[in-house]
Amino acid sequence: MSNIVVLDNGGGLIKAGLGGERNPAVVIPNCLYRPLSSKKFLHPTTTFSSSTEDLTSAAIRRPIDRGYLINPDLQRDIWSHLFNSLLHVTPSTSSLLLTEPLFSLPSIQRATDELVFEDFGFSSLVVADSPSLVHLYETSRCPDGLVSEGRCSLVVDCGFSFTHAAPVFQNYTLNYGVKRIDLGGKALTNYLKELVSYRAINVMDETFLMDDVKEKLCFVSLDVERDLQIARKHGKDNLFRCTYVLPDGVTHTKGFVKDPEAAKRHLAVTDGASPSEAVADQLEVADRTTDRKRVDLSKNEFDLTNERFLVPEMIFQPADLGMNEAGLAECIVRAVNACHPYLHPVLYQSIILTGGSTLFPRFVERLEKDLRPLVPDDYQVNITTQEDPILGVWRGGSLLASSPDYDSMRVTKAEYEELGSARCRRRFFR
Amino acid sequence: MDDDNSNALRRMSTRTRKVATKMAAALGSSDNRTQAALARLEALENDNAGIETVEMNDDDEASLDEDDQGYMQKRSKGTKRKTRQAKALENARKAPRSFLELLQEANLESLPPHVPSYLRAAVGPPSSTSRRHFCSVCGFSARYTCVTCGMRFCSCRCQNIHNDTRCMKFVA
Repeated sequence: MSNIVVLDNGGGLIKAGLGGERNPAVVIPNCLYRPLSSKKFLHPTTTFSSSTEDLTSAAIRRPIDRGYLINPDLQRDIWSHLFNSLLHVTPSTSSLLLTEPLFSLPSIQRATDELVFEDFGFSSLVVADSPSLVHLYETSRCPDGLVSEGRCSLVVDCGFSFTHAAPVFQNYTLNYGVKRIDLGGKALTNYLKELVSYRAINVMDETFLMDDVKEKLCFVSLDVERDLQIARKHGKDNLFRCTYVLPDGVTHTKGFVKDPEAAKRHLAVTDGASPSEAVADQLEVADRTTDRKRVDLSKNEFDLTNERFLVPEMIFQPADLGMNEAGLAECIVRAVNACHPYLHPVLYQSIILTGGSTLFPRFVERLEKDLRPLVPDDYQVNITTQEDPILGVWRGGSLLASSPDYDSMRVTKAEYEELGSARCRRRFFR
Repeated sequence: MDDDNSNALRRMSTRTRKVATKMAAALGSSDNRTQAALARLEALENDNAGIETVEMNDDDEASLDEDDQGYMQKRSKGTKRKTRQAKALENARKAPRSFLELLQEANLESLPPHVPSYLRAAVGPPSSTSRRHFCSVCGFSARYTCVTCGMRFCSCRCQNIHNDTRCMKFVA
């Protein structure tokens, strides 16, 4: 039996490894980048947050736009680097399990098939969609849980390019129920870039830096009005003000949060209560340390206050930005309502959150708070998070690759050559 | 200002003028404010802040060694020079098409309404039309609208900053 390469080809990160393993062997950004010091575009070998390279003003090229593959040439380049230098697999003797976004266009599917069979020559291919893989993983993780009892779930995938709410029934995604918001991690980073560039320092070229800022400092607000009031305060009453130090290229090539303790203060703000005494004590300590540090670093830093929660807020209310789209809670309700009424209570009880953008602190609490008023009273709402939302899809793929069903789902190279792309695609039920 | 009748005598260039898409959108529409808002949303999906077609060229040259590059440049000066138009055409053919172009090509509107597709999966407009406004300068809730460009601000101080820096930038 040949080995199976599981490849979750995301817009932001590629997750790749061999089927049957628990974690992907390789997680790299799906892009080429060119730092200022280089003339060529380079292949990333690790995620940017773990590399120590100087990425100031690096240019990026991504093969994926709005979640869909638009540049197969670039993707071929990235994949060949991935297969040859990172994974060390020979495509001709392996099978590929590839994730594809929902509602991929026929022309894009054809380009993908060409890439897999003609350029790399994989012996067989299975195309899966991410919601069903997440569902598969969750059912196998707790076989007695509600997700596996009810055999259906609502997978909310808030990723890099877009956000999907997809009902899954018996391992098949009900594509008539899927709803999409055109907002994901990329748009959030770009929005943060825009805000900081206007208010403090021009960081329009610093995608990697702002990704880091977003991951470290942004959080979801439970009550925007109240938090705006807190963010307006001066001095140590302001629990949200936080300073991020830009890299200077000499002593440190990575930006960092100046005072990580102070950055966590927003967690002290609980529902409806004002910050307690204990927090105030912490604040004084924090303030003293900031004063001490303030001397040596003067210009190359910026403060964030309300940006920290107004940026993720976009997912919950895209209308604030001028987008004519409903927020995440309403998106979920619409996805459920598109299904058969018998499924409604079960779907609300088994909402699974996945995707990198759900990692913002308090994402779940906020979603629950938004969703509850929209759901009929006699239904329960239960939101499950994955242990690792970024890898959830890949782990599902790894499970599928090691299951006995895998062989029957494959399209082999011979079949592709005989029948062509469109016919083979019918095998994947979409 | 030139008079209108002098225009008839003046020889006009037949070259099609290349205008940036955002500019074209702003010029072509009567409702500049919505166009500017749309352009801003579009920009949220950009990878780099600059225009991306330029990079295709850079990359091709960057992949050559330095000596080769000098040689190539010399030679291209000596022999037949590529016209700008030919270059632009070649770039257009080589450049990857954006997803929106591919989407248009797929012609999903022609599918019958019960077939789920990319277009029908969009979540659609929110049920409530009310929208919160945040100050474009400081981020707090904004009560006032700039009369010239329609952006929001919350106070006199922010208005001044807005007028000095950002006002009319998109819609002028």
